[in-house]
Amino acid sequence: MQGSKNITINFIINDEIFNNITVPVRQHLGDFLRSIGLTGTHIGCEQGACGACTVELDGKAVRSCLILSSQINGSVIKTVEGLDDTLMKKVKEIFLKHNALQCGFCSSGMLITTKEILNKKKKLNREQIRTEISGNYCRCTGYQSIVDAIEEAIEDNIKDI
Amino acid sequence: MGKGGEEFIMKSPDFCYYEALSIEDAIKFKSNDLESVILAGGQSLVPALNMRLSSPSCLIDISKIKELKNITKDNDFIYIGSAVTHSEVMQNKIIIDHLPVLIDVLDMVAHPAIRNKGTHGGSIAYGDPAAELPAFAVAANAEIILMGLNGIRTIQASDFYHGLFETDIQNDEILTSIKYPILKDNQKILFDEIYRRHGDYAMAGVVANIEILNNEINNLKLVFFATGTKPEVALKTSELIIKDGYDYSNVKNMIKTELDFESDLNSNAEMKLHLATILTNKILKLMET
Ligand SMILES: Cc1cc2nc3c(=O)[nH]c(=O)nc-3n(C[C@H](O)[C@H](O)[C@H](O)COP(=O)(O)OP(=O)(O)OC[C@H]3O[C@@H](n4cnc5c(N)ncnc54)[C@H](O)[C@@H]3O)c2cc1C
Repeated sequence: MQGSKNITINFIINDEIFNNITVPVRQHLGDFLRSIGLTGTHIGCEQGACGACTVELDGKAVRSCLILSSQINGSVIKTVEGLDDTLMKKVKEIFLKHNALQCGFCSSGMLITTKEILNKKKKLNREQIRTEISGNYCRCTGYQSIVDAIEEAIEDNIKDI
Repeated sequence: MGKGGEEFIMKSPDFCYYEALSIEDAIKFKSNDLESVILAGGQSLVPALNMRLSSPSCLIDISKIKELKNITKDNDFIYIGSAVTHSEVMQNKIIIDHLPVLIDVLDMVAHPAIRNKGTHGGSIAYGDPAAELPAFAVAANAEIILMGLNGIRTIQASDFYHGLFETDIQNDEILTSIKYPILKDNQKILFDEIYRRHGDYAMAGVVANIEILNNEINNLKLVFFATGTKPEVALKTSELIIKDGYDYSNVKNMIKTELDFESDLNSNAEMKLHLATILTNKILKLMET
């Protein structure tokens, strides 16, 4: 009944299948992603507060710094590198149009959070958008332009259904 | 793509990982290794590991145990399994229909991405003095259900919290579910808190359990959080309100005599006393609406 310090797991990241990958159980998912070259996921505070490392795990936004690699066995993960469907391509264009980023450190987390907002297919006012992104710090924009972008992305997404 | 592995920096101390197959399995592991800890959503534990504030021998992952992931209801009670996530509670039909105030409370617990992982039982078991759910459980007269080597035991939420992050959970025990009485027709739970940023831990908060009779408060139980070392019931203040209504100085003096205020990074004890007083008034106003 011994627990283990390394674990061999299977998972899918951005549609690529990974089989029999051995990871140290204590490595968090954010560090693991970066270790395999997926450096679009940024590591900020490592205590869940800043939101920079947010990725999608089994269809839900989560903090990759607060998930251990050992916990992702059998999971499907999407990182910023995998946001290449029509919807998210459009969202990235909308972010650029509104200057919803400057240094880009928060952008990968912001985009994953935006994806989760859009999944809900619900119209939100600016106040509600601010609440939804309250878990993602941005130190450049003052959020105004990010809210502008998400507002347009929601409009656009709802129009399409 | 590169290859993951040992050559990369580790932030957490060295520990082992064990995925429990059942509640019994987890209990057995825990009682054989007293340095091991339960991993539920990891939203409080993993930050502590990343910061090396905790160095357990092993993590026992209970998040995949099916029996811990149900929300059920009978005539008198709602049972929330300990491994149900905050997001799952917020979307559950039983909760929407019978305990909707819990959704408003959870809306204040962290942010969506943290609520997607953090669990109901994890929050109750952790006992953060600034957390909403422990105070909610105390105010709602919930019972905490624990399972250990000797079987199942139930304890009132108000007896469960001993002090700062200290609860009644024994070494061999796991919190399996929380049992909430269904509210009576004349009964309401109200909640409010003061925070700096939506989703942050509160500077001070209150949960009130109120019974109305002939348009008057017949019964009141005020429970404060983020004020001291654990959620605290303000019995005398509740009685004072029923008798005399709200008056800032009177209420403040009474709260001061019965609660132990402790400063934290958010606000000092004096500020918390002021906020607790104001929150009492806000709750009474909410009741009128
Ligand atoms: C940035 C950030 C902001 C947050 N803001 C808030 C907030 O505003 N309000 C709030 O209430 N919470 C907040 N949280 C905490 C969040 O709600 C966590 O989900 C919760 O505190 C712990 O739940 P968990 O399932 O993640 O537990 P874990 O982190 O897995 O475990 C926490 C502790 O409880 C023990 N434990 C867990 N489950 C059991 C069980 N079934 N039986 C016995 N022991 C158990 C573990 O051993 C550990 O010691 C925040 C977290 C973060 C990272």
